[in-house]
Amino acid sequence: MKLILSTSNLLDAGSSIRRDPTQKSNAELVSSFRANFAAHSHPQTNGSSSNGVSKQPPSRTNYKAWTHMAPDGRQELECPKLDFEHSALQEEREQYDITVKLFYLPGAPTENRATQTKEAVKLVLKELHMPSIDLLIISFPGIYFDEEEDCPDKISTRGPVEAEPEPLESQIETWKTLEALHEEGVVKKLGIAEFGHDRLVSFLERTTIRPSVDQINLRDCCSVPKKLLVLAKSRGIELLVHNDSSNVLPRGTLRELLGPGDEGAGVLAEPTKTGEKRKSLHGEQVKNGDADGEGLKGEVQPLWVVKYTAVVKNRGVVENKGYFAVAELSG
Amino acid sequence: MGLLAVGTPLEWEEAKKSASHVRSWGIEQLLALWRKAKGKERDALLWGDEIEYLVVNFDDAERNVKLSLRQADILHALASDPELIRQGGGVPDLNQGEPKADRPAPTFHPEFGRFMLEATPGKPWGIGFKDLLDVEQDMKLRRKIAKEHMESSEFPITLTTFPLLGDRKSITPFYPPSGSKLRSQFVPDEIANPHIRFPTLAANIRARRGRKVELNVPVFHDTNTTWPFKDPTVDYDMHNWPEDQDVRNGAAKDNCIYMDAMAFGMGSCCLQITFQAKGIEEGRKMYDQLSPLGPILLALTAATPIYKGFLADTDVRWNQISRAVDDRTPEELGEKPLKSDRWRIPKSRYASNSTYISQDSRLRPEYLDPDLVVDEDLKARLVEGGMDDRLATHFAHLFIRDPIVIFAEDLQELDLEKSDHFENLQSTNWQHMRFKPPPPGNDTGWRVEVRPMEIQITDFENAAFSVFVVLITRAILSFDLNFYLPIPRTTENMETAHRRDAVLNDKFYFRKDPLPPPQTKINGVSSTPGSGANTPRSRVPSRPSTPTGPVEDEYELMTVNEIINGKDDGGFPGLIPLVESYLDSVNVDVETRCELAQYLDLIKGRASGRLWTAAKWIRRYVAEHKEYKQDSVVGDELVYDLVKAAERITVHEGRDGFAKEMLGECRERP
Repeated sequence: MKLILSTSNLLDAGSSIRRDPTQKSNAELVSSFRANFAAHSHPQTNGSSSNGVSKQPPSRTNYKAWTHMAPDGRQELECPKLDFEHSALQEEREQYDITVKLFYLPGAPTENRATQTKEAVKLVLKELHMPSIDLLIISFPGIYFDEEEDCPDKISTRGPVEAEPEPLESQIETWKTLEALHEEGVVKKLGIAEFGHDRLVSFLERTTIRPSVDQINLRDCCSVPKKLLVLAKSRGIELLVHNDSSNVLPRGTLRELLGPGDEGAGVLAEPTKTGEKRKSLHGEQVKNGDADGEGLKGEVQPLWVVKYTAVVKNRGVVENKGYFAVAELSG
Repeated sequence: MGLLAVGTPLEWEEAKKSASHVRSWGIEQLLALWRKAKGKERDALLWGDEIEYLVVNFDDAERNVKLSLRQADILHALASDPELIRQGGGVPDLNQGEPKADRPAPTFHPEFGRFMLEATPGKPWGIGFKDLLDVEQDMKLRRKIAKEHMESSEFPITLTTFPLLGDRKSITPFYPPSGSKLRSQFVPDEIANPHIRFPTLAANIRARRGRKVELNVPVFHDTNTTWPFKDPTVDYDMHNWPEDQDVRNGAAKDNCIYMDAMAFGMGSCCLQITFQAKGIEEGRKMYDQLSPLGPILLALTAATPIYKGFLADTDVRWNQISRAVDDRTPEELGEKPLKSDRWRIPKSRYASNSTYISQDSRLRPEYLDPDLVVDEDLKARLVEGGMDDRLATHFAHLFIRDPIVIFAEDLQELDLEKSDHFENLQSTNWQHMRFKPPPPGNDTGWRVEVRPMEIQITDFENAAFSVFVVLITRAILSFDLNFYLPIPRTTENMETAHRRDAVLNDKFYFRKDPLPPPQTKINGVSSTPGSGANTPRSRVPSRPSTPTGPVEDEYELMTVNEIINGKDDGGFPGLIPLVESYLDSVNVDVETRCELAQYLDLIKGRASGRLWTAAKWIRRYVAEHKEYKQDSVVGDELVYDLVKAAERITVHEGRDGFAKEMLGECRERP
């Protein structure tokens, strides 16, 4: 079964805006999913305290009430139910700078990337009610622009390294899908993330439509390798800064988000333990949330994550920002 | 300040009779402006900074420094520089080049003090992040151009105040004090810009008040300072003007540095930033949200520890300017029972602001100032003209003041295509935020001016603070941040910001949680409100939930460090982390991001104490100077060395290792 997770506009949920340097850099992603699941799964409470500190979380409703299973027999579960009605941007297309970043996740098969890429872009376009995007950046698993560099601060923001870089062949193959989207006019500019000098050189040799952007993470050590700077300048590639964890959804994160624990959304059942034991550990949980079922069972394999941002160009105001994530639940 | 309008200014007794006349015409002009511009939408973010300089003249042989009163000559030299004019720059009041497509050269303006100069960018900045990088370079260019049009012994310095202003000798050319306009025993009338507007402003404020303005700044008590300290420079035996009686009536207070003229306040240099909003609603929202930030910005930029040759016990200029233009009568001040005046007025015309103006559903009535004085008749006229109650209240509050400078010629006929009468009141209400309607006759939008910051010694710092405020406005709008605080708390914070090293040692009232509250959604529809009208995002309009809990629970006392850098306990997130969160959400190139990181690092450091404010640095410089005798006296040679040091800091910005305590190690790149 496919799981489609969404945050809607995360700017509406204050908790996702908070930026704590001690947090992992995928904190925004995790907290915005969590906030959106909570907003949908907890019955409306009147009089949450005015300074935003809520007391005991109220009991949550069964996941079936707020998620949505595709009616036509496609095994697709939307968490929460997708609703594009209220998400439109307020102004016309040309007022916005729309950037989309697609993270292919480690462990996900690379063969389906064409489909996945189109699906991701389509979801974003539907969410924003827009016909096209300005910049599509793709992030391949396991690569860092400064692999050779020794900068301890930054290494700590990479998140767990769970993948070796994939072969160039596979990246080029993926890029063809982006080139097609560019030719269709759906995407104006293409970009890659975390390409160091050498990787960028070999990549450029093999691509027809060149990336306009290479996005790198240098928050803590404000130094860019000279070679990369020179190459980018000579090839007209803009070096942009990002603060995303390259491994944006490490193993176990989805299970934590969707699982039955206090921090979870109650969509997934406990993976291996027996029913007896779970009851004793999360007695209340079972009583409140999973009265008519145990949650979905099976192994979760996250496939991709997409982040989108719409900024009003001449005012620099971020109007909409959010994530979708798609995972495969196999049982 | 535009100076083109000239005419016959009325002396106070005459001006007073026309005050209501000017006010009612001003209100009609405001209504006309408002009607024309209230529908303006989708204006771009444009913003501008203003840098004010003191022009000092060094005599290296004699080791002394004086204020140069050559403003008019310097402006004339700038206005007749063909190259500057060719590049679109100049002096708008005298001569300016044709606008150019790309970035035009800067423009220069007169200011109140005849020793001052103001410089602004040739055209406003946008939000292109590359624009943000140009700000500092442009500031440096402005200073360079200004310097090039001065004598070789002169320098445009950005200290807030000249440490020897009022010592009866450190001005060049020399004029004796006690002129007919200012009647100051310390400074001559020639200290002010000779344009008739300025001496009239000073004279009429004094006349309305019924005595000279009175500035008593607490002196810093050092080990050898006498107790009680009696300002030794006060002359009790002067008999030129009736106002000379002021000091014999006790105007000079014990333990204070006493000053008696508008020049002591309006001769201070500030760093002001003006933003154009998308439309009137966004402007009103920014005005409200930036207001509680004012005292924090003031404390962070503290740079004014010396007055008239003495160390003061306060760090910032604000209250001195406030008192220097305080035209309230004894009745308005509450010193005498109300007889001929209309009301008691709690604040000077120059003070922290007293209104919130947004139609934001988050604005609770409890936040408003309970002491607000409003001219109900003028308010009724605005409401009758269609303006909503909240905005009408704001302007009817500003219009409780009298117009100070009235030109006889302007009273003939009401011209609704102009804004002169409106501006007469609007621009002599010097609050820490100013809400500015679009001027008639061009396409400018609704603007908000941020006025509390002190000028910094280097252009690096001035750029850093300007850019920081720009980024904060973007974070406020993007994240729908809520900084609402009861206005009286902001007023108190403004006082707190005056204390020595308030940035490190004092606590300020601030809202605990500025972030939108957690949401509950039913079928995707949000049930918690944002700021209501005209939110930047596609939030579903919804009924505001009834706020629960007392307003007092929404805020607490925080240090500047907590407000800027965030609280460790997961409480207040910190303005810098919010700005960084904003930067993470937009596309910024590496070069820009690294430059911005230096700016943000300066502000982080100032807040944490890692970097010093100019006030702290100057105090240390004085304390360690060989001429200083621990008696609070900052003497001539010391001031010469200090201003020389400021010049050195301006030029090298810490790259030579000097004043690193203030600027940090980050200024290594050429």
